[in-house]
Amino acid sequence: MDDRRRRFDAQVMPHLDAAYRFARWLARSPDDADDLVQEAILRAFRGFDALRGSDVKAWLLTILRNCHLTALKQEQRRGLVPLPEEHDAQDGRVLIASTPDPESASIQRDEQRTLERLISGLPDDHREVLILREIEDMDYREIAAVTNVPLGTVMSRLARARSALKKQWLRHNDGVPRAVR
Amino acid sequence: MQCAESLRVQAYFDDEVDSVTATGIEQHMEHCAECRALLQDLGELRAAMQQELPRVHAPAALRARLSRALDQETTARSSKRFTWPRLRMPLQPFWAGTFSGGVATAAVAILAFVIWAPRLSNPLVDDLVGAHLRSLMADHLIDVVSTDKHTVKPWFAGHTDVSPVVADFEPQGYRLVGGRADYLDHQRAAVVVYQHGPHVINVFSWADSQRGLPANATRNGYHLIFWKSGDLEYCAVSDTAPDELLGLVRLLQGL
Repeated sequence: MDDRRRRFDAQVMPHLDAAYRFARWLARSPDDADDLVQEAILRAFRGFDALRGSDVKAWLLTILRNCHLTALKQEQRRGLVPLPEEHDAQDGRVLIASTPDPESASIQRDEQRTLERLISGLPDDHREVLILREIEDMDYREIAAVTNVPLGTVMSRLARARSALKKQWLRHNDGVPRAVR
Repeated sequence: MQCAESLRVQAYFDDEVDSVTATGIEQHMEHCAECRALLQDLGELRAAMQQELPRVHAPAALRARLSRALDQETTARSSKRFTWPRLRMPLQPFWAGTFSGGVATAAVAILAFVIWAPRLSNPLVDDLVGAHLRSLMADHLIDVVSTDKHTVKPWFAGHTDVSPVVADFEPQGYRLVGGRADYLDHQRAAVVVYQHGPHVINVFSWADSQRGLPANATRNGYHLIFWKSGDLEYCAVSDTAPDELLGLVRLLQGL
């Protein structure tokens, strides 16, 4: 294994889980997410020498997102993209992990499904900033870099995403403010 | 009606403000019930997202697949890397013997081979065709998608070693579609991508290598036109007709 590959494995591959999580939110199915991640990793490997600085995770997620947008554009050109209502949480964006106890698992699954469905229902540009902030724990500057928008836009999108999600979450719980454990 | 401070409260929640600003926001929240409620909402939402959403990990099968793909890529890279033809001259007899005419002729021949052989199959031409083909394959055409040169050009500043000419020639039939960084000749080359009818044209640019440019070439049906401008070397690659490709090159040279 050459030195470049070793450095890539050491610096970039630790962010594979983050890339995969983000890909699962961007892509329409787990298979698409796999392809997207592979595409992004190979592209990152080819452009690895271009990497400057230490923000490897933001760099990788930026590449991943660009791959996604390019693929989306090509699909749109070929007319392959289904209408938005066709892809809700039912077809693969649900990220259920297996839990040992079936009963509590089913309750937990309902909550997961609901929250995931609500998040999936957000506009793409709102959902991605929310995911990057809350799941990937990135700061505004990193999110701005990944999503290629100014800081102010990150802040307003994040605020709108959170407010919309909060409203829907409340509505889902019959308007009763629900204390989260 | 939302309090004008709500974005600042959000920034406070996200730990994006300095301590002075934080104190100001805390004071504001003391007498703004709306912002206090907002802060609580933000906390609940975060807790819900972190607790209710499963932490997914990349599946083992995907990891294995990536490892294989990277292995292939590593092999492809190292086999493509250029190595100078090695001088296989028996040195000891050469120094020991007299400097005969025959040896001198052989030395000249070998020297000529060393100098000219790389030009016959220039690795740069192979690299450029390879990079062009890769860009057409699985969606790696564009890193920054834009028809605006003011978006593409600054993007190169942060992602490549060079700052090439970028312009849109849509009226002339060469539409600027974006830019990409590519690894070429041991540096981060900038690639400006144009669309000409159904054809993609990649315009590669890299810092002058002082080694001289290869002649224009056609390889596997792809045409390559090289030129130099300032301290940058350029190559336009496409499967469009050579004349059409030349049209874009002229426009770029005319800038």
